[in-house]
Amino acid sequence: MNYRYLGRATPRIDAREVVTGSKLFLDDVRLPGMLIGKALRSPLPHAEIREIDVRKAKEVPGVHAVLTYMDVPPWKVGMPRHYPVLGKRVRYVGDPVALVAAETEEAALEALDLIRVEYEPLPAVFDPQEALKPGAVRLYEEFEGNEVPLGVPWFGPESLKELRVGDPERGFSEADVVVEGCYSYESFANPLPPEPPGAIALWEDPGTVRVWLTSQGPYFDQMVLYYLMDRKYEVKVVGVSCGGSYGSKGMIIPIALRAILLARASGRPVKFCLDKGEHLSTFTLRLGTRFEGRVGMKGDGRVTAISGSWIINTGCYSAVTQAQVAVGLGEAQIAIRCPNWDIRPKIVLTNRQPSGWIRGFGGQELKAVLFPLLHEAMARLDIDPVEFIQRNFVKPGDGYFWRDGRWWTYRGVDFAEAIRRGAEAFGWKEKWKGWLKPSRVEGSKRVGVGVGVHGNADVGEDVSEAYLRIDPNFTVTLYCCVAEQGGGQRSNLCKMVAEVLKIPLQWVRITPADATVNPYEYGLVGSRGTYAIGSAVIRATEDARRKLLEMASRKLGLPPDALDTEDGVIFCRQDPSRRLTWREAMGVTRTLLGYGRFEPDFSLTNFLVSFVELQIDIETGRVELLRVVNATDVGQVIDPLCLQNQLNGCLGSAGIDSALFEETVLDPRTGRVLNPNMIDYRWRTFLELPDLQNVILETPFPSHRFGAVGVGEIATSPGPAAVLMAASNALGRFIRRYPLTPDRILEVLKERSRP
Amino acid sequence: MRPFEHVNAESLQEAIGLRTEYGERARLIAGGTDLLGMLKDEILEPYPELLINIKTIGELGGIRKEGPDLSIGSLVTLGELAKGPPVLKHYDLLCQAARSVASPQIRNMATLGGNLLQEVRCWYFRYPKRLGGPIPCLRRGGKECPAARGDNRYHAIMGTRGCLAVCPSDAAVALSVLNARVVLKGRGGERTMGVEDLFGPMGNALDPDEILTRILIPQPPEGSRQIFYKFTLRRPIEFATVSVAVLVREGEGVCEEVRIALGAVAPGPVRAREAEEFLRGRPLEGGIVREAAELALKEARPLRGNAYKVDIAKALIRRALLGKGM
Repeated sequence: MNYRYLGRATPRIDAREVVTGSKLFLDDVRLPGMLIGKALRSPLPHAEIREIDVRKAKEVPGVHAVLTYMDVPPWKVGMPRHYPVLGKRVRYVGDPVALVAAETEEAALEALDLIRVEYEPLPAVFDPQEALKPGAVRLYEEFEGNEVPLGVPWFGPESLKELRVGDPERGFSEADVVVEGCYSYESFANPLPPEPPGAIALWEDPGTVRVWLTSQGPYFDQMVLYYLMDRKYEVKVVGVSCGGSYGSKGMIIPIALRAILLARASGRPVKFCLDKGEHLSTFTLRLGTRFEGRVGMKGDGRVTAISGSWIINTGCYSAVTQAQVAVGLGEAQIAIRCPNWDIRPKIVLTNRQPSGWIRGFGGQELKAVLFPLLHEAMARLDIDPVEFIQRNFVKPGDGYFWRDGRWWTYRGVDFAEAIRRGAEAFGWKEKWKGWLKPSRVEGSKRVGVGVGVHGNADVGEDVSEAYLRIDPNFTVTLYCCVAEQGGGQRSNLCKMVAEVLKIPLQWVRITPADATVNPYEYGLVGSRGTYAIGSAVIRATEDARRKLLEMASRKLGLPPDALDTEDGVIFCRQDPSRRLTWREAMGVTRTLLGYGRFEPDFSLTNFLVSFVELQIDIETGRVELLRVVNATDVGQVIDPLCLQNQLNGCLGSAGIDSALFEETVLDPRTGRVLNPNMIDYRWRTFLELPDLQNVILETPFPSHRFGAVGVGEIATSPGPAAVLMAASNALGRFIRRYPLTPDRILEVLKERSRP
Repeated sequence: MRPFEHVNAESLQEAIGLRTEYGERARLIAGGTDLLGMLKDEILEPYPELLINIKTIGELGGIRKEGPDLSIGSLVTLGELAKGPPVLKHYDLLCQAARSVASPQIRNMATLGGNLLQEVRCWYFRYPKRLGGPIPCLRRGGKECPAARGDNRYHAIMGTRGCLAVCPSDAAVALSVLNARVVLKGRGGERTMGVEDLFGPMGNALDPDEILTRILIPQPPEGSRQIFYKFTLRRPIEFATVSVAVLVREGEGVCEEVRIALGAVAPGPVRAREAEEFLRGRPLEGGIVREAAELALKEARPLRGNAYKVDIAKALIRRALLGKGM
């Protein structure tokens, strides 16, 4: 389709602010009298606070509040609520022990130094399988065996807790090969958005608190905070521009609650932001996962059965890990057609910082450990993995059990063409030499290729609402609680509005992401920006347009469906000389309001296949990523540059690089994060970008007005399993864990006994 | 960052005087690229009351001839060295090492003296105060080195007793092969020592009142080939996993002069003298080079988590000797 804005690169609505540095981020919010909040953090991975003395800290000039567990309501977060915002027990190194609010950071730090704490140390457990053993120390009295119960109440009564379908034993008996194995993906990569998490709280009156947040879903967070504060207070959340999140800021809630507590105690606004060290050692990491199981496969690539135990290390608490399990199990079925499943997940608590909400949301973690087992079966049967993906990725008419436990029949497009075009761009046929065979050998260098795939039916998850206001002075305002995440998401919604109304893009405004002004919005999560939010925005715009045409129809004496509008003029399609401007139609003392709503619909999925080529030096263990080709079918491009950049994000932020070198290193004895800085925590710099190409197809998805489904969060997700495959092919043996740092590569090469 | 006083030293004398007066409570600051990070993480004990800025001392800058040696002032920046100025034409090893450090912005601030005297990168020693407080270790007056039984993937593979932190300086490795000496000035006057002697397992050899003023490098043999290879997980903004500096002069198909030093394997740069001895008079061929690399790592006693560093070191030595690229 030829659109006025969609599919074309347009300047972002905030381009000028971004370039000139005037865009408002959390750190730019300065309220009169605002204090700085800081936390005293636990030196021990597991302990009970026996005594705590804050008297001296309170005497430091400039200090307005010092809080311990004794001073605060017993607010808890997590699902079910279990992790205290400020508790008597600490569960990882860095867990807050006391909170201070002071006029300067220096005064706050001085006060922290004066707090005396006596701990009763408890045994700590870092390994999930150790934590599950009988007799292991319990992190919470209510969770026996350190297992968090599965299931998500807000996904409905049948929410997916495990995947038991068909008759796996029969499936295995029908298979040509059955492969068993254990894989682990435990890099605990940090998505590491440039802006660390933070919140500012201001009590407007004793019953009302306003919170500025770096958030992915300000309205949703407002609702969550209201419930967690026992529905006793009115909460008003404003989402400022978010300096990157990659899912992680979904777990901003405890930080917001700490700011709220300090603001209440001090009677002043309080900013509570993490610094980089805190960001790296106390905020959300990717889940650690292990899969021990079996797969059965036929010689033609049909999967007959999959079974196994999926161990998920969620760290010191589970915010939404159950939801990640549900979505991950759904996504496995989207990528693998298989009639017989038996996957038993266990979510395990350990004494490390929380792991959880990160893009890829359970599916990336499961794929990283499940696909390598399928690779072993493919190798036995000599099946080309690209052909496997072609055969097994969901096709129209197929279905899957989604997070709500219901069976959904897929009604989107066939991605076979995207897979074919991606393979062609990558040169798969020339590079693929068979399983465990390098594509090229030069001296000590071995080059290998791999491929991975991902798709997510959360494109249609949850509810969005939007209002569209038309003003007679040729401006329209979109009311929609979306905070900019850096990907141009707000601009893209404005483009959809301009496209529906056929007006200049500069006429479109969007409200700040203030949840007190805007209608309900779940947020920019789950890849739902284009499809779910976009559909609500389009419907609101269509509704406003309909009202406008109805108004004009009375004045023009023509039925509304005979009319059209473009550039602020309403005209008769048959006779464009019969026309009114918006102002003439509306008068100057009137505005029009359209309303749009999106209801959850899990019958579609987005798609990405990633091809990787890497080189391993078998003398030094150095792994170098040479080339990445991503291929997707987005239905309709909204903005080509935004889309390219979304896909270019496949490397860092706990994606492909979490298979290579991104890794949070925990000291096995003290439970401390040993690399809580930007030198020791490795991240890819711009000097080391591989050759990266994105193949983008546009096959319209009929259920979206513009045929778009987008790509959303999944850019990182096919990568890890693809990297492991490529490295296995380069080295001629299966590698069973991540990340592929030189020490691990050289260790694998020394294990001669294995094939 | 917690507050401190800052004073611009007008002369070496004044700086030495203040160092003498304040002792542990004062720190010198030149480029500050290491110090400021340590102040932010509050890993120095005691936290300094005073920073003595020595960038204002003219005599610590500049590169000049001093007798048969080239003298490089300790304030010369890595950025200047990385440019490879004509005066360093015969000392290219140092320029290569300087180029491998950090990023352009940091090299523009960081000085050669600071690079030699920077604190170790051991992640136990550098654990930030605000994330649960420091981790006791030998350098902090503790009884044991936590790396011995902890995660020691980046720690020493040689001289593995006591503190297991390795020398993080790239320049030190190059200077070791260049047979450089360092000049220290304190209350009692000036003293000179070989660059390897600057490094001890628990810190550098400077007395509390001493300042590293300049580095003296003798003229390397005419026509020598100089190579610095630094193995890192990623290329920029990285400290060495292992580094190797090699200087070779060949004549009539055999090694006439050869010097090899290893970095990030021990508290200081380590000269592989036995391997050097072995290579003299022999041709640089596959088998011989392989044997030399084995000899260079003969004393290696890797810890549980860092045997891979031995493999990397051997590979780097072979590649540097054969000049076939890293």
